[in-house]
Amino acid sequence: MERQEILDTMNLVMTNKGREPITEEAVATRDANFRSLDFSEVALRIETKLGRELTFDAAAMRNIETVKDVLDFFEKATA
Amino acid sequence: MHTNGQNIIVSGGSRGLGLHLVSQLLKNGNKVATFARSRTPEMDALEKEYGDSFHFASVDAVDADKVNAFVTEVCDKFGGRLDSIVNNAAIGQDQLLMHTDLDTIQQIVNINIVGPTILTRAAIKRMMLQGGGNICNISSICGSRGYAGLSVYAGSKGYLDAMMRALAREVGEANIFVNCVAPGFFESEMSSVLRPEQLNTIKRRTPSGSLSNDENIFKVVDLVISGTTNMQGQVVFVDGGITS
Repeated sequence: MERQEILDTMNLVMTNKGREPITEEAVATRDANFRSLDFSEVALRIETKLGRELTFDAAAMRNIETVKDVLDFFEKATA
Repeated sequence: MHTNGQNIIVSGGSRGLGLHLVSQLLKNGNKVATFARSRTPEMDALEKEYGDSFHFASVDAVDADKVNAFVTEVCDKFGGRLDSIVNNAAIGQDQLLMHTDLDTIQQIVNINIVGPTILTRAAIKRMMLQGGGNICNISSICGSRGYAGLSVYAGSKGYLDAMMRALAREVGEANIFVNCVAPGFFESEMSSVLRPEQLNTIKRRTPSGSLSNDENIFKVVDLVISGTTNMQGQVVFVDGGITS
């Protein structure tokens, strides 16, 4: 999946919850107020788009610190 | 009555407690879907009485693809949302572990553990994206207290309690409420294997002096899935006080 499409999905989750959209990749997910359940929701939305399940260990999620990490993760997971 | 206007899936609703839960939830104005391995005459009767508000399918609870397809089918039929699920389907046991064959152990694990896990997994994916929901596992006092002859069954019910607590931590923030209702010995097909003197002993040891019945359990399930309580990650005992 394209990086921009992943970011759009992240921002859909953010704006649905009344939060500011993310514009910078370098920002920490904590500072962007992007939470671990938001990560799961993005994964579910991507699953719906792709029509297949994404399964991964919680350890992979724990290593994510920045928006860039999230985009890298899903880019790789959907390749 | 606490729950109405919801779209609800109850597993194993073709007979026993499950049938009572399905019937009462329908009567209270909910849309209810259930599945079991085989169709019973009661399913035909509910279809006739409630039309499109009721849905039954023969589904093997441990076939993940079929369970996922069932959840999709139900959501399509009921208008998209899945408000609550009740993990009710289970099989009992009346054997000491040393005398229980491996096939029986595997069957109990499949129906009582794998089945509810698959259904819960499918449901929380829906509930996450729609902004919330309620999950109620029908557990048992056996999950918290020891009773001879029920080791595998008890283990399976303890699993439901433990899974529920972990899941409440995982998805609570997404407005998904996960709880267990744990009946004591109640008047059911499962307790029908007990001899009258055993039942009398249980009644004598129960502070309320009586076994719970399907309606007692329904009333608590109805409250738990109502989404009105803020109760999260709890086991609610409906046992006349025998575990108190």
